[in-house]
Amino acid sequence: MATGEFLGFLNLSWQAVVMLVIGGVLIWLGIAKKVEPVLLLPIGFGCILANIPLGGAAEAGGFLAVLREAGIHTEIFPLLIFIGVGAMIDFEPFLQRPYTILLGAAAQFGIFGTFFLAYLLGDGWLHVLDFSLQDAASIGIIGSADGPTSIYVATTLQSKYTAAIVVAAYSYMAMVPIIQPPIIKAMCSKEERALKMPSVPGTVSQKTKILFPIITVLVVGLLAPKATPLIGSLMFGNLLRESGVVERLSLAAQNELANIVTILLGITVGGMMAGTEFLRPETILVFILGIVAFSLDTVAGVLLGKLMCALSGRKVNPMIGACGISAFPMSSRVVQKLGLEANPHNHLLMHAAGANVAGQIASVVAGGVMLMLVPMFI
Amino acid sequence: MLNALWIVLLGMAIIFAVLGILLLVMFLLGKLVRPRDKQEEKNKQ
Repeated sequence: MATGEFLGFLNLSWQAVVMLVIGGVLIWLGIAKKVEPVLLLPIGFGCILANIPLGGAAEAGGFLAVLREAGIHTEIFPLLIFIGVGAMIDFEPFLQRPYTILLGAAAQFGIFGTFFLAYLLGDGWLHVLDFSLQDAASIGIIGSADGPTSIYVATTLQSKYTAAIVVAAYSYMAMVPIIQPPIIKAMCSKEERALKMPSVPGTVSQKTKILFPIITVLVVGLLAPKATPLIGSLMFGNLLRESGVVERLSLAAQNELANIVTILLGITVGGMMAGTEFLRPETILVFILGIVAFSLDTVAGVLLGKLMCALSGRKVNPMIGACGISAFPMSSRVVQKLGLEANPHNHLLMHAAGANVAGQIASVVAGGVMLMLVPMFI
Repeated sequence: MLNALWIVLLGMAIIFAVLGILLLVMFLLGKLVRPRDKQEEKNKQ
């Protein structure tokens, strides 16, 4: 047997070397810079494993390929993650301010605007990039600012760029504190940012908290059926939390389930970053369009926030519209910080959190709507 | 191209419609559930 057939370094391609470096950078970002370490560390490691020549980890029969088949192609991993996410989220800030769901709806414009742009660059008009309608929809869904939704939609639509889309979605979620403030500052004057919102009196009854996940599944499921798996798993997790009778299951969903699936999901996504498929001009465009999606989300949310501000007699700070983006809790913290900078007595956190968890629901609905509409137009 | 424009317009319209209905239902739920809670508080007092 020739040495080249069993010595990995003799088979290193330039693509594999670049991907090994990228894997290292992702691990470094997670450990040294604390950027989404829970995801970037397994993704980075999976990326390294997938690009070791002759390793076979990500090739047919390899353990990463088996995980990809079992967890990503079947869409099981994102749905299981959502059960954990649902069990972690307290929807009370939203239930106290239900109108914030409209901010969540507006902030989904980033998904559709970016989809349009991607399709324009691809098969839709210019043909400069290899973006089909399904690819464009999957790229747009980066704007859901929601990893599991991005994976679910990109996988269901069988996009060629699933790995890049997932990495972009998770990376930009961590970069929300960098992406959003300049846009918000450009759109809102200091006077607007300083605007205090009246506190909401009273708390939400336990009965409402229990009925909320059931009603949400029924309303969303019956109107946008394609969103049922996503909203169903999210709301099932939330029902475990709010029912108060299955604390053991709720804690298992929040901890063991979410942690185990995060490990498997992260390393599997990393395993999809094989150099030959990942290093294409389109991948760079996917990352650029990801920023566009997050920016459009923010702009649309703030615009509706401004409208609400005007209609409510300045009782709504327009900045909370930016939280409709769903990247929870990062965008709430951004708005809280900007509010305090403009007025040291301006505490917007709970108002922003309301829009933020509303954005979580809205992004899931947007994912379902995309899955419903795209096959109709192919 | 026109297809993509339709997806954008229909998509945003459906999202607002679905979430608007959810808002309406939650508003009604709030009206139905809250009075009983107030009554319970009164009873406790």
